[in-house]
Amino acid sequence: MQTAKREIAVSMTGISKRFGPVRALEDANLEIARGSILGLVGQNGAGKSTIIKVLAGIIKPDSGSIVINGETASTLTPASVEKLGVHFIHQDRLLVPTATVGEAVFLGHEIGLGPFVSRRAMERKAADLLKRFFGMELPAGTLVKDLTTAQQKVVQITRALAQKASVLVLDEPTAALVKREVDSLFDVLRRLRDDGIAVVFISHYMQEIEKLCDRVTVMRNGTDVGTVDPRVTPIDEIISMMIARDVGEMFPKRAVELGAPVLEVSNLRLGGSFENIGFNVRAGEIVGLTGLLGSGAKEIVQCLFGLKTADGGQVRVEGRELSLSTPVKAVRDGIAMLPEDRRAHGVALGLSVRENISLASLRRYSRTGMVSRSSENQAVDGLIKELSIKTPHRDALVRELSGGNQQKVAIAKWLSCQSRVYVLDEPTVAVDVGAKVEIYNLLNRLAGEGAAILLLSSDLLELVGVCDRVLVVYRGRLAGSFSGPAMNSDALLAASSGARSNADGVAA
Amino acid sequence: MSVSANDNNTKASLRGFLAKYSVLIAFAAIVIFFAVASPTFLTPANLFNVLVNNVVMLAIVALGLTIVISSGGIDLSVGVSVDMASMIFVMLLAAGYSGVVGVAGGLGAALIVGILNAILITRLNISPFLATLGVLFIGQSTQQLATSGGQPIYLTSGYAADQFNAIARTALFGMPTPVIVLIVLAVAVHLLLHRSVFGRYVQAMGAQPGVAWYSGIRVPRELSMVHVLCALLSGVTGILLSATVKSYVPLSGNAFLLDAIGATFIGTTLSRERKPSVIGTLLGVLLLAIVKNGLLLVGWNFYWQQVGIGVLVFLVLAASFGLRRAAH
Repeated sequence: MQTAKREIAVSMTGISKRFGPVRALEDANLEIARGSILGLVGQNGAGKSTIIKVLAGIIKPDSGSIVINGETASTLTPASVEKLGVHFIHQDRLLVPTATVGEAVFLGHEIGLGPFVSRRAMERKAADLLKRFFGMELPAGTLVKDLTTAQQKVVQITRALAQKASVLVLDEPTAALVKREVDSLFDVLRRLRDDGIAVVFISHYMQEIEKLCDRVTVMRNGTDVGTVDPRVTPIDEIISMMIARDVGEMFPKRAVELGAPVLEVSNLRLGGSFENIGFNVRAGEIVGLTGLLGSGAKEIVQCLFGLKTADGGQVRVEGRELSLSTPVKAVRDGIAMLPEDRRAHGVALGLSVRENISLASLRRYSRTGMVSRSSENQAVDGLIKELSIKTPHRDALVRELSGGNQQKVAIAKWLSCQSRVYVLDEPTVAVDVGAKVEIYNLLNRLAGEGAAILLLSSDLLELVGVCDRVLVVYRGRLAGSFSGPAMNSDALLAASSGARSNADGVAA
Repeated sequence: MSVSANDNNTKASLRGFLAKYSVLIAFAAIVIFFAVASPTFLTPANLFNVLVNNVVMLAIVALGLTIVISSGGIDLSVGVSVDMASMIFVMLLAAGYSGVVGVAGGLGAALIVGILNAILITRLNISPFLATLGVLFIGQSTQQLATSGGQPIYLTSGYAADQFNAIARTALFGMPTPVIVLIVLAVAVHLLLHRSVFGRYVQAMGAQPGVAWYSGIRVPRELSMVHVLCALLSGVTGILLSATVKSYVPLSGNAFLLDAIGATFIGTTLSRERKPSVIGTLLGVLLLAIVKNGLLLVGWNFYWQQVGIGVLVFLVLAASFGLRRAAH
């Protein structure tokens, strides 16, 4: 039974899963060994989170087998998986904010007598565990919401360890952490590995993978394309495995002559979020904007579309000063927005492709308040063809389209408006690689036609590949503006976490 | 009839046919059933009666609710709009004012109800359900306070009153006047909801309010318009009601609420896209009216009529779902 070298904790073989027309997993395999840290990488939509959700019992696979600690698991549920010793630290903090640390550590496994829980006993034991595992002196009566993000991660890990976890899966655990916290988290994970626990580490940050992991499994298009040792295989090669082509092909380069500034932002300020923000986006320019969670980058974008009202500062589009208090005004003034939550804000799934595309520009296709179907159809058909939106016909519901095509419908809506400024908020999240490249091509074409594009993204690879210039926000201020050779993911990451600033000075 | 393998195709297409026309088939079945059960059901006099008394007024209220439900909301205060229009119309006529003043006053009263709903929903961000429920309570009490505890007001004489009653009871081009009013309003609401820019905005708000807001649609303004239109349409029913019965009976508008909601949702279920539509709503109203009238004619009393309507609604909807699934 027992192999001397690597003991396998979890073995998933031949996992397939379809969601309607979308192939999320196709014959995917994942092997997790004890006493080692396995990195799991892949583009958004490659199937990383789907295979993890299958293991977590959240998604039922169409086929494939899962063996956990030598036992074949037929039907997994979140509860049964935990009983088998597999624990998950999800990206979004799944802790009850108003619980104490003690309650959070023993959530679902409360200590007490019969129906009564003893909060004091739980808090005492939680404090013990925190001290024993992490040498951390944390009053266990503290409320979860008063902890830092890193402390919350530690509490989640402690909860897993209290349940005798043998496999620990962390989904993007460093996304909201600063560098120092990342380092101490890595120390914790290394200690756990040395204690024989199997750790799975999912991350977009290749530097972290290189630093921490013993092996890396690369996923692409719903399947695993290889497992390598990151200390032997260079990062560029791993990235090429992820995107199945050279990095250059993934991000089609273009030569666009930049025109006059279209979007001019100066002194923009929002209390508690950011201040003194100023930058320009010129016609034909793609400017990236990035920052960690809570850095204020997101809020800047929201202010530019009138979703939040800035406390001060000026926003000009083509020289005209705007008062951006609602999206109504932003749209009227030629600003287009591709929101991050596509299903809630980008496209109406229950409406047709036609109704979605014409929604923001109906006035153009109407006379005396009545929609002219012929001119609407003509415009919509043109855009479907232009963006090669894969839909059976213009009256198909957007719900029936793949994520990438839904995103193209959302873009078509603004093309139909002939907007001048495009603000994109994480436009390629949950979009497959093929559609991603199409969206990048689309951005290039928009820029080529003289639009000004502001791209908010946390995908550093994407920013470096697509943008002419990237602005980094750190703690509510512009921490740097990067272009040319200085624009690389190391520099962006460093600036985002406050380690370094100003490569070529903050743009005026 | 024997079933062989070759019949599979025919069976599938038959199921498809049944699914497509399930509403019409159900209608035909119900009409035939009552025609056989009661000799008076299919007489012109009875059909005229069904149309004028059971269909028109309910249908106009249901048109208003169709707009509101399309926008993703609800209006529980349609009965108040009916009553307020009816009350002011009758009070003005009783005080000797002309018909034009009466109609304007009645619609004005309904307009106030609509504006109140709109303010509560779009300015104070109260959910449509709770906002209109509150207006329903307030409206009912207001009527009782204004009529010393709910005394009806009768229009005994006066030129304007008689004229309106005459209009309500006469026919134009062979059609009863109220039916013509309904046809005009139904066509108008159909165009508004399914052909106009405003209608698109309403559908978008109903499908995904966030998307409407992110597309630059003035959601509060459009939503206010939705509630004002619903109240005005209900007000038209209030005026037709008073003109027909030459009186105002407090709280009589409430009878429309559940039937109008029911008709709209039946229409939604029967429509191919599962969205509220004017045609669907009119079918729903007709279905309810025919069943009510038919059960009355075959001798069921009021209470058993309600049971019968409930059961029939279930049967029609279940048949529609079943056939639809079979067609897939």
